[in-house]
Amino acid sequence: MVDPARYSPPFALVRAHFAAGVLGLATFAGLLLAHAAELGGHHFQKPHLLLVHVAALGWLMPVALGAMLQLVPVLFEAPLASWKIGAAASVLYAVGASGLVGHLGTLSVGWGLPLTAAMAAGAIWIHAAVLVLTVVRGRASGLTAAFVLAALAHLLFAVTLGFLLAWNLCAPYLPLSHLVVLRAHAHSAALGFFGMLVMGAGLRLMEMFLVSRGAPELPGWIAFGTLNAALVLLDASSLLGPWEAADGASAALAAVGIGAFAMQARLVFVRRVRRHADATWLLSGAGLAHLASAAGLGLALALGPAMPALRDRLVLAYGLVAIVGFAGSVVVGQLYKIVPFLVWLHRFAPLAGTARVPAASELLAERPKRVQAALMQSGIVLVAAGILNESAGLRTVGAGLFAASALAVAGNLWAIDRRKPFKEG
Amino acid sequence: MKDEEEQEEAVSVDAVSLREALRDVTDPEAGVNIVDMGLVYDVTFDPASRRASVTMTLTTPFCPAGNAMLDGVHRRLMRVPGVEDANVEVVFDPPWSPERISDAGRAILGW
Repeated sequence: MVDPARYSPPFALVRAHFAAGVLGLATFAGLLLAHAAELGGHHFQKPHLLLVHVAALGWLMPVALGAMLQLVPVLFEAPLASWKIGAAASVLYAVGASGLVGHLGTLSVGWGLPLTAAMAAGAIWIHAAVLVLTVVRGRASGLTAAFVLAALAHLLFAVTLGFLLAWNLCAPYLPLSHLVVLRAHAHSAALGFFGMLVMGAGLRLMEMFLVSRGAPELPGWIAFGTLNAALVLLDASSLLGPWEAADGASAALAAVGIGAFAMQARLVFVRRVRRHADATWLLSGAGLAHLASAAGLGLALALGPAMPALRDRLVLAYGLVAIVGFAGSVVVGQLYKIVPFLVWLHRFAPLAGTARVPAASELLAERPKRVQAALMQSGIVLVAAGILNESAGLRTVGAGLFAASALAVAGNLWAIDRRKPFKEG
Repeated sequence: MKDEEEQEEAVSVDAVSLREALRDVTDPEAGVNIVDMGLVYDVTFDPASRRASVTMTLTTPFCPAGNAMLDGVHRRLMRVPGVEDANVEVVFDPPWSPERISDAGRAILGW
């Protein structure tokens, strides 16, 4: 039997990662609003680089690291190899990622750029080493384990390419266009790491929080195989090609993989014991819809006519729905499950059997979470529409709604974290 | 006089009252008490040793709230007047399935 208290790092460490992630989300939302009018043209520009890296490094990565520190030991039934090294790596990561985002946001290409990139990449390598050591000591296998291990492999590839790109910006040396390396870096990070992690952890969390048992896993394995094949093809085509046929095949494989994952998620969902659809499942469903949109845009980019102006808009919308729409929605949705559960485990579990304690889902009412989800989704859709339509007004309204949703996330999670036990009598 | 009352109270402990007490322990994720969730397989009370024994399961061996619930069951049993010792055994054979949830539990879960 799994005992999180035995296997997991201190609650304070996981909570610090989640708090940093929420701060990153608020920063991203503020910057999105500030730069909404500038979202257009080629993707390799200051505001786009700034926004993507604040979202990836400031918001999603701290949450992902915190979740992995908590989830990997429980999943693999092995104590974390060293939470102290993990904590030290997180401090190094915070310094490196902040500096890297600052340099990218101002396109300062001095030696500070590769230095901060090396710090962030080194911290992630240390984290990955701790997690891999934990995995090899453990005994779990299966679909979620495969997704998590693949996510770690793609993460190491992505951060290594990111460091090489940062170095190349400072002192050009790459024998091929930095834009094709950037393509491999972005896909390895977005679909390879965040995608695989969200899918693997999401399936396990769905089973756990929906109390769903007995779903066959074949579609999940098909998704795992086709998505990894798609990424390998894309990376090979980017770094060794270009091979147009491989790009098309990669996009098609990714679309098949996303479809197979949606089937797997449905198999888990229809077997659920908890029937009420809550904010987590609304956000996860929205995330899947964004992922399907990203697959469609990816196919259009790989197979469609090369009209530069349209292509630029499609690339920006593709990045938005993949990173903010898919990964962002699912991450926020799962935070609404993970945070109450951890708060319950550490604050209320010791009272079980001696006093009336609320269930994890009762730590915050459903309405504020649903309001936040509605603000977030309408914001993302309007920003995407504003990018495709070249409408600064739509993008600004959408960014405003998204900023309101970011504040709502912070407020909702803070309320859950402050929840006290019932007073008796 | 007091000893006689305690003796009477202790004798009045039975499996039914213990099972009823276990309704105070809730599965934190489902929000349903462990009895209506169908997690409690067997409850016995030995009057001689005043020992309460519970055989129960979890929705999955990987349940991360498992130990918290087992501790809660032990604490609740020990709070029942007349119980001086408690033993909680976890089994996964037969495995838990949703068919074990009571009508009251299903109502809470939205069935």
